[in-house]
Amino acid sequence: MSAAEPAVIEAILAKDSISKSVRVDGRRLRSERTRQLIIEAYLALASEESPVLPTAAKVAERAGYSVRSVFERFPDLHGLQIAAADYAITQVVAMAASRDVGGGRMVRIRSHVNTRARTSERWLPLWRALIANQGSSGELKARAHAMRERVLSLMEHMYAPELSTLSDVARRQTLIALEAIVDVESWARMREYFGLSDEEASAAWIQAIDRLLPPTPPE
Amino acid sequence: MEAFLALLRDTGTMPTAAQIAERAGYSVRSIFERFPDLNALRVATVDYQLAQAAALAPPRHVDGDRQTRIRSHVETRAGTCERGIALWRVFLFTVEESKELKLRLSIARQRTIDRFEVMYRSELATLGEVEHKYLLIALEALTVMESWARMREMYGMSFEEGCAVWIRAIDRMLPPATPKK
Repeated sequence: MSAAEPAVIEAILAKDSISKSVRVDGRRLRSERTRQLIIEAYLALASEESPVLPTAAKVAERAGYSVRSVFERFPDLHGLQIAAADYAITQVVAMAASRDVGGGRMVRIRSHVNTRARTSERWLPLWRALIANQGSSGELKARAHAMRERVLSLMEHMYAPELSTLSDVARRQTLIALEAIVDVESWARMREYFGLSDEEASAAWIQAIDRLLPPTPPE
Repeated sequence: MEAFLALLRDTGTMPTAAQIAERAGYSVRSIFERFPDLNALRVATVDYQLAQAAALAPPRHVDGDRQTRIRSHVETRAGTCERGIALWRVFLFTVEESKELKLRLSIARQRTIDRFEVMYRSELATLGEVEHKYLLIALEALTVMESWARMREMYGMSFEEGCAVWIRAIDRMLPPATPKK
């Protein structure tokens, strides 16, 4: 072996290790991509068949993989349901960011209702399938609770001037009542049961929030 | 039916015929001698609960002052929610499967709305038709069974604290009453 050989071997080994790490990363990326496609297939089916949850066979078929691939990435269907709920929640949270926070009372109410209505319209089938259909799952209950606390916190931010005039107890009571009124299922009842159009349902929420909130204090 | 309701309260899920039979102390055959299938048992149980709710929760203090009427209405509604939530949850998840259950859901909602009309006649009379309709829809949303269940289970409120949330909200949302002539 010449003196140059160890360096060559090192270089070869380094090259080999780089190509191995590229291969491993590529494999990991493909696996992540498969996982993501399975979640998206699950969400599409859950939305179409809400509130009935999809079977592993249907998810696999929709995603274009085998049932085995599904269970290589998720321990069971409940694990997949939780992963799908987390992914959907991330999307809903991004959709529901507050706007017009510095506007006047009616501007804020309209903006909040508009965002909440869009979110409800889009989120309803998944909400029914993934979150409301939680059975005895502690993980799903925790997510449902977190989502509701988030809605409370968004409204606290949106209606800070009005809520600042109330005591702590009255503020919490008002927020809980507001949350019941703008619940996803409340939107669904207005649209499906009372037969209101999008505009009429939004008008009902605007009127209710305006009535429920205390007067806006002078600036 | 009482065994079915008891199991719903205990487990929160739709029981099987075998579980119902065991709890009632009869055979599975006895169940199907009285109900053609489990949907018929569900429908009969919902009817039983609707009748019970009507009997246990008649409108009270209809002619009282505003605060008396709100308190009376809220306490009655809260009692109905407290008793009915277990069945309601199973009911909501199976309602799409049955025309009979859909009809009963509609009856239950209409009763809630009718109660608001009876209790707050003088306040609602001051509103135009659309405003009146929207307010009833919002009040119904406020006082649905799940809203009560969330206050009790998720926010950890006592019966009185839950009532206080509804009393405050209804009082704020209702307009002033028509002055009596």
